[in-house]
Amino acid sequence: MTILSACEWLQSLPWASGIKESSWQFPVIESVHSLAISVMLWPAAILDLRLLGVVMKRRRVSVVASQFLPWVWVGFVTMVLSGVVLFASEAVKCYNSPFFRVKLVLIALAGLNALVFHMTVFGNVQSWDEAQAAPWRAKFAGACSLLVWVGVVAMGRALAYA
Amino acid sequence: MLSERWLPLFDWAGKTWLGTTVRDHVLAFPIIETFHLLALAVLLGTVLILNLRAFGLGAKTSTYATMAAELEPWMLVSLVILIASGIPMAMSEPMKCYESWSFPIKMMLMVAAIVWHFAVQRKRQGKGIAVLSILLWTSVGLAGKGIPYV
Repeated sequence: MTILSACEWLQSLPWASGIKESSWQFPVIESVHSLAISVMLWPAAILDLRLLGVVMKRRRVSVVASQFLPWVWVGFVTMVLSGVVLFASEAVKCYNSPFFRVKLVLIALAGLNALVFHMTVFGNVQSWDEAQAAPWRAKFAGACSLLVWVGVVAMGRALAYA
Repeated sequence: MLSERWLPLFDWAGKTWLGTTVRDHVLAFPIIETFHLLALAVLLGTVLILNLRAFGLGAKTSTYATMAAELEPWMLVSLVILIASGIPMAMSEPMKCYESWSFPIKMMLMVAAIVWHFAVQRKRQGKGIAVLSILLWTSVGLAGKGIPYV
C-alpha cells in the first residue's frame, strides 16, 4: 500500500468525508486548530525570548520554563489532534502539497530542537538559571524554535490557499 | 450584514491599489494571514496568560501586575500588527466582508474588547472580568474565522 492510497482510504472513511461535506465541521475544527496556536506558540515563544534575553530577563529560566511549558504541551496536543482530523478530511490534497511536506519536516525539526535542548544545555540550567544572557547553545535553540514555528504557521496558511 | 450606505466604502476598497494587489497575487493573502495569525497568538496568548491566573492556572506564582508589565507591550504591538494586516486582507475581498454577518460582528467585538481592556481590565481583576476578557478576545478571533462562511 502506497502512502497515496493510504491517504485515499483515510479520506474516504465516513467521518473524514463527513467533515468535508458538512458546511460547518471543517471551519469549527480549524478554529480550534488556530486558537490553540495562542495556547502553544506564544508561551513557547516567551521561553525562546527569555533564552535570547529579550523578555523576563530578571526571572530564572527554570521558573519561566515551568510556568509556560505546560501550556505548550496542552496547546501542542490540541493542535496535533485537531490537525490530524483536518488532515484526514483532505489527506490527498495534503499529500500532493509541497507546503504540507515542508510543514511536517519543520514540526519534526521543532521536536528535535526541543529534545536536544532538554537533553543538553537545559540539563544543567542551575548553572546559568539567573544569567540574563543564556549560553550560546540555549540562545541558538531559542532562535531555531522561533524560526521553525513561524515557518510551520506560514506553511499551514499556504497549504490552505495554494 | 451591513446596510447599503456602507456599500460605496467597500466598493472603493476593492478598487484601490492595495486591494487589487493582494487579490492578484496568490501568495499575498496567506503571507499576510500568517502575520495576522502570529499576532493573534501573541495577543490571545497574553490574554490567556494574564487571565487564567485568576483560576490558578499557569503563571500563578507571579502577580498580575508583574506579568502585565512584561507582556502588555507585546500585546499592544500585536494589536497594531493585527489591524495593519487585517486591513489589506479585508480590502482584497471587500464584498465578501460586506455580505457577511461575521465581519461587522467582528469589528464590533474588536472595539468592545479594546475598550474593555483599557477601561476595565487594566484597573480591576477578578474571575468575572477574566472570563469576559477571554470570551471577548476569543470571539473576535472566531468571528474572523467565520468571514468566509457566514
